[in-house]
Amino acid sequence: MDILIDSLLAILTIYLAFRCMLAPKLSKAVFVFFAFGLMLALAWIRLGAVDVAIAEAAIASGFMGVLMLDSLRDFSLIFSKNQERLEETASKIPIKKDSYHWTTALALGLGLILFLLISIQAIWEVPQGGGLTAIAEANLPMSGVEHPVTAVLLNYRAYDTWLEIGVILMGLLAIFAAGGLKQYRKPGLAPAQDPLLRKTILIFTPVLFLFGAFLLYFGKMGPGGAFQAAVLWGAIGILLHLGGWTVFTVIPRRMRQILVTIGLGFFMILGFTQMATGGAFFEYPPAYAGFLILVVETLAAISIAAALTAIFAFLTK
Amino acid sequence: MMIKEIFIVILLVAGCFFFLAGTLGLLRFPDLFSRLHALTNADNLGLGFIAAGIALYIASPWATVKIFFIWILTLLSSATSSYLIARFQREQEKSKNGEEE
Repeated sequence: MDILIDSLLAILTIYLAFRCMLAPKLSKAVFVFFAFGLMLALAWIRLGAVDVAIAEAAIASGFMGVLMLDSLRDFSLIFSKNQERLEETASKIPIKKDSYHWTTALALGLGLILFLLISIQAIWEVPQGGGLTAIAEANLPMSGVEHPVTAVLLNYRAYDTWLEIGVILMGLLAIFAAGGLKQYRKPGLAPAQDPLLRKTILIFTPVLFLFGAFLLYFGKMGPGGAFQAAVLWGAIGILLHLGGWTVFTVIPRRMRQILVTIGLGFFMILGFTQMATGGAFFEYPPAYAGFLILVVETLAAISIAAALTAIFAFLTK
Repeated sequence: MMIKEIFIVILLVAGCFFFLAGTLGLLRFPDLFSRLHALTNADNLGLGFIAAGIALYIASPWATVKIFFIWILTLLSSATSSYLIARFQREQEKSKNGEEE
């Protein structure tokens, strides 16, 4: 029964990926992408990686999907102006049905074969010892948390997580540098004024906040943590924005900058303090490790949530 | 024990039936409004049946509460989103008709 579900999931995932890439219309590609993200999240759950599943569903599928939907609306507004002209030109040019060149097909085929060979080899040589799991679990009492994944992310390999927060900040800076994209607001239609939508968003806000806080705290003992919590908190910001409360843009500029950078900053200061007191970079003293990790996670979550909201807010300005 | 299992199977089958009916409606109905009707009605009811079946199957009070909340939140969000889709479609039709007249 298990193998049936798993193979169905695998086939569906690959099928949806192909449909997404080969979709004739942008809108179709975006909606297939949602379905693809859902399948991928389910696949992660089947593999036992609930952390990754939550992150996949929330960030990769949810947040990216919302951004894509948003840009889709802009594209459709830009194109609807030129559509008649486009259709005219399209009817004049004979459409080439056979657009797949044999070189592309050959390259794709070769790549697929190579990929299959590599994956077969990888499956063949699964490490028997279970990798580093034993070491990670042996050192759990000293890490300050009770879940091996959280211990790896925020203690053993805190450096990676720190840089990941930096990557999100870099993305935000790139968006700021590129400037807001929106100039094509359709007049008249303002979903922000819809009373039902606003009411629903107000109902969802505390639920999302509570669930995010739960994931953040629960990360100590089980799957969950800063990134997952941050997406839920970021979702609050995005929902409020969609409902017409421009929460992020009314916060003073200085405050915003602090909100966005506090996670990265505190993490870095903590790392250097540990170095100054004689430890290694990100070597928590075992007695305070649990508390410090919780503080770092909370601030990181606030920062990431603020960054996600800012990305959305400034793209929709 | 037997009776409980029979109940679970009945609930799950009923849920699957509603999902099937909803999907069939989505594929076969002629316009957006009837499709939305098929989808929301059937899916909400289908999800309700499946949630009830699973809650019975797990038979732990906390899990039941969680499943109930999942169902309620899904109801809320799906109802709101289909309302928004329907409203958007209606406004588009209105503006199209206005242009034609």
